[in-house]
Amino acid sequence: MASVMEIYQLLPKTNCKECGKSTCMAFAVDLLARKVTVDDCPPLVNEAKYKSGYEKLSSMITPVDGVTDTGLIVHDEKCIGCGNCVVACPVNVANDPLGAGSGKAPTSDKVIFKVEDGVVKARNVQECRRFGENRILCVACIDTCPTKAIEFV
Amino acid sequence: MGFGQFLAAPEIKLKVVTYRDVFQNTAQESSRFGEDYETLSAVIRLDLKDISKLSIKEGETVILRNGSGKVVVQAQKSGYEQAHPGIAYMVNSPWSNVLVPEDTGGTGVPKFKDFEVTVQSARGASVTGIKEIF
Amino acid sequence: MCTGCALLCDDIEVETEGDKVTVVHAACRKGVARMKGCSEPLECTVDAEGADMDTAIAKAASILRDAKNPLIFGHGNSSSEAQKISIGLARKTGAYIDDTSSFCQGPIVEAILQERLRTCTLDDVRHKADVIVFWGADPSNSHPRHLSRYSYFPRGKERQRGWEEDRKAITIDIRKSETAIICKDERFYQLPAGGDAEFMAALTNALSGKVPKTSFDLDSKRILGLSNIMKKAKFGAIFVGLGLVYSLEELDPLFALMDKLNEFSDFHLIPMVGQYNMRGFNHNLFAETGYINRLKFDGDSKELAHGPENSVVEVLRNKNIDAALIIGSDPLSSLPLSIARHLADIPLITIDPCNNLTTSRSAVTIPCALGGVESGGTAIRMDGVEVELKKIFDSDRLSDQEILKRITEAI
Ligand code: SF4
Ligand code: SF4
Ligand code: SF4
Ligand code: SF4
Repeated sequence: MASVMEIYQLLPKTNCKECGKSTCMAFAVDLLARKVTVDDCPPLVNEAKYKSGYEKLSSMITPVDGVTDTGLIVHDEKCIGCGNCVVACPVNVANDPLGAGSGKAPTSDKVIFKVEDGVVKARNVQECRRFGENRILCVACIDTCPTKAIEFV
Repeated sequence: MGFGQFLAAPEIKLKVVTYRDVFQNTAQESSRFGEDYETLSAVIRLDLKDISKLSIKEGETVILRNGSGKVVVQAQKSGYEQAHPGIAYMVNSPWSNVLVPEDTGGTGVPKFKDFEVTVQSARGASVTGIKEIF
Repeated sequence: MCTGCALLCDDIEVETEGDKVTVVHAACRKGVARMKGCSEPLECTVDAEGADMDTAIAKAASILRDAKNPLIFGHGNSSSEAQKISIGLARKTGAYIDDTSSFCQGPIVEAILQERLRTCTLDDVRHKADVIVFWGADPSNSHPRHLSRYSYFPRGKERQRGWEEDRKAITIDIRKSETAIICKDERFYQLPAGGDAEFMAALTNALSGKVPKTSFDLDSKRILGLSNIMKKAKFGAIFVGLGLVYSLEELDPLFALMDKLNEFSDFHLIPMVGQYNMRGFNHNLFAETGYINRLKFDGDSKELAHGPENSVVEVLRNKNIDAALIIGSDPLSSLPLSIARHLADIPLITIDPCNNLTTSRSAVTIPCALGGVESGGTAIRMDGVEVELKKIFDSDRLSDQEILKRITEAI
């Protein structure tokens, strides 16, 4: 996975603000989170001297479908539906202690993860502990996944 | 199929350890004869050193032989961080079962998980199909 | 109820359209594939020609009647009710009867039934276990929901604080499996192939306060560390996988380890049974005969022969049988080819929902309903708990129980 610094190095680094961000660094952060696309930086697209940077970034930042607001991505093709993330996620446990928190199928609509047709589906992601006020760096779903199917970008 | 053409290629002896894989299992539930089941089963996962000893590239086919039988499967990198030259991994399947020795010492339990094979490049040959195994 | 493996998950919900399952909730990938059914359902055939059910059953009965030494094999994917009829059929025809446990978890289940090994239920594990050991087992691939439903992540009565604080999961294996990765490196003990017995002895020594040594130079501090964790466990559970079963030549080192552990702590053992009702077959046969598998009935004298020479592998190797009835199993795929080959030379009858290598070589094939989806019954989970399978919808395919009953009547 690309880091913010790697992305930043490939940008024009002029802080020209044409993209609407105040700095190239801010743009890099958003690019990593897929909130903007490579094409949103006009100089990078238009000026010949940034061509190699543009090409590298385009191949590095492949579009991912289903990125949620918190940057959570589930790679469907890797997920085996084991439910580890369902049971481990603190939000699932708090909102559904007797279902998901106890290892069973979720019985509440407020959970983040739920397995459907053998693959986990994420919803209510705004509840994720990595998001909003008082956020913490929770890694429960990442650490418990046997196939590394969950990623935050 | 004539295997004479491969005689010149280097061959090495490896220990094979078998394991289970949920994706292959899933494919098996859908169909034993399906393409998915074959792609996920007819594979041997090798250490990088062994791959270079065989002078093959990942994705090429190799022929596995021992006293029990022979099959052609696809060679892949194992992807484990720790090197494991001399040991190869195969998912438990009809392909690995071709190579499991018959000898049980009368116990009724064959050595499914741990046996030896000779590996050699089979460049250009296709993977043994499930219907050809028999 | 999902019959994808012997975890028999009972929290599954499905949406259906007619006689098709469209959406499955909560089951893992493997379970969903099982419940949605195979893409190549088995046809009813006699000598590879389409036949009706009555003809196929009559033909099956005549094959079994004419055979001197038939084999009845499979059973892991059948309800307990079907298994009991199968045992009766074996008695009637003087057959060899066996199941996959014969080259799988049989020895462990036997030791549990004979009360040589302490066991507990998966629910006990969820509520109480603080030290969990996966030995030669990779549930993330074989029983995908094992860790999330029972063994590691869920909260339970005495385990309220979540897995990071409340439980320690240890993996012992010859391969860094997906399960080993989740349990983290410091809790993973990698052994050379066949090194299990030696490691077990070293661990037993460590528990007795001796310096643990292994010929493969595993750091003795790490073994001591493990023995300390195990000693301090309030409630321990060891899950025994095929990796361990195949590696141990005899169970004595395991008995010694369990005895030692129970001097300090409270340790239990559960076999990682694969097929959903393999353990049921062992229990049912044990209840009737005192043996769990590998039997030969002798029609008239009511005598029983038991032992490895009656196992499916040995009777095939020695070509002792002259016909076989295979129920819900694919021995041509799952046995070594050199051994299974004999099956293709004798008249075969297979009962299965799906096509497989064995059905493709059978004289008679009879399709049956998919257990847990199209037919009900009871089954025994990997931990020995009996559960009720509820069928989800009706199908025009007969259950294996019904088919076996009709074959028995026809003989
Ligand atoms: S438009 Fe491009 S160069 Fe200008 S500030 Fe944004 S990222 Fe930097
Ligand atoms: S990061 Fe934590 S709170 Fe957010 S989805 Fe994952 S487990 Fe749940
Ligand atoms: S832990 Fe990973 S594999 Fe398991 S359900 Fe969650 S995303 Fe899927
Ligand atoms: S773990 Fe086993 S029983 Fe549970 S859903 Fe998966 S296959 Fe079915």
